[in-house]
Amino acid sequence: MAANPMEQFEIKPLIPIQLGGYDVSFTNQSMWMVIVVGALSLFFVLATWRRSLVPSRAQSMTELSYEFVAGMLNMTAGEEGLKFFPFIFTIFFFVAGSNFFGLIPGSFTVTSQIAVTFALTAVIILTVIITGFIKHGIRFLKLFVPKAPIAMLPLLVPLEIISFCTRPMSLSVRLFANMLAGHTMLKVMAGFVIALGGAGGILSVASIAPMALIVAVTALEILVAFLQAYVFAILSCIYLSEALHLHDH
Amino acid sequence: MPEPKDLRELGRRLDEARGRDQGRKVQSPPTFFGVAFRFSTELVLALAVGAAMGWGLDWLFGTRPVFIVLMSLFGAAAGMRNVMRAAREMNAEATRGPVPPSLTDDED
Repeated sequence: MAANPMEQFEIKPLIPIQLGGYDVSFTNQSMWMVIVVGALSLFFVLATWRRSLVPSRAQSMTELSYEFVAGMLNMTAGEEGLKFFPFIFTIFFFVAGSNFFGLIPGSFTVTSQIAVTFALTAVIILTVIITGFIKHGIRFLKLFVPKAPIAMLPLLVPLEIISFCTRPMSLSVRLFANMLAGHTMLKVMAGFVIALGGAGGILSVASIAPMALIVAVTALEILVAFLQAYVFAILSCIYLSEALHLHDH
Repeated sequence: MPEPKDLRELGRRLDEARGRDQGRKVQSPPTFFGVAFRFSTELVLALAVGAAMGWGLDWLFGTRPVFIVLMSLFGAAAGMRNVMRAAREMNAEATRGPVPPSLTDDED
């Protein structure tokens, strides 16, 4: 039994690959990403395979998820934001899928790696910047110029730039830290159960307490898994919205 | 075969259910831990980003201590601004109504 609560986050190469001096091995992390994407794609393809006017349960689930994401996008970014529907839909379900798959005992949580979450947010923020420049041209830079007296601008512009650059960081750190903290907490408490259980006497009976806590925390983690995916997606929508509609937020 | 009356009844109930759905918000109220976590990440990350940008500028121009000091200060200020902005958003959400004039930002 692994006593180290951080052991679950270790990346182990499954198929070692060296490419031009870089280690690009197929790891347990890559495998779980493939599993998540594969399972989600399979579900959505199969559920919409035989489309009917009166939907089956699976088709109804895909329709509900479509409406959920479309509604979220419409609420935050308006009609124009719907062009980014496939993007946001993919992000939301990749994050939610990774979080939920991570809750399976013995699995690997892809979103508990900052490399993954930061890569995701880097893609989001690049999309925001490119969209902003395509839509507004050089006027997009006005995002960094708040309405303030001219004399204050040399102070406020660097502030706004830093503030903008903080966004992808806080987005990725929030998701990664939530996943890391939750899973570590579960592992630590599981360690308590085993340690108390093995202690014998009255202490063995007391091991029920951390066991009950694990059940409660697992329930909380299911909520967190969904909530973090939702927060991740809705913040992406808000950033896109700001790039689409300059300064009228 | 359902009667037209039944269909009309079903339509009425569907409309009613849709109306109910419209007013509901999916978001749950933030927990204290969530709020604390959000504020602290905003503060610390802005400082880190500022310092990193300063370090990069110093590396670019070879002016070692100048920009890293300056941009760290800007980073700290940006962190404060982020926290204030986040707090204002949360207030607006908590009151669910228009933001009171005393809380609106007069800068942007």
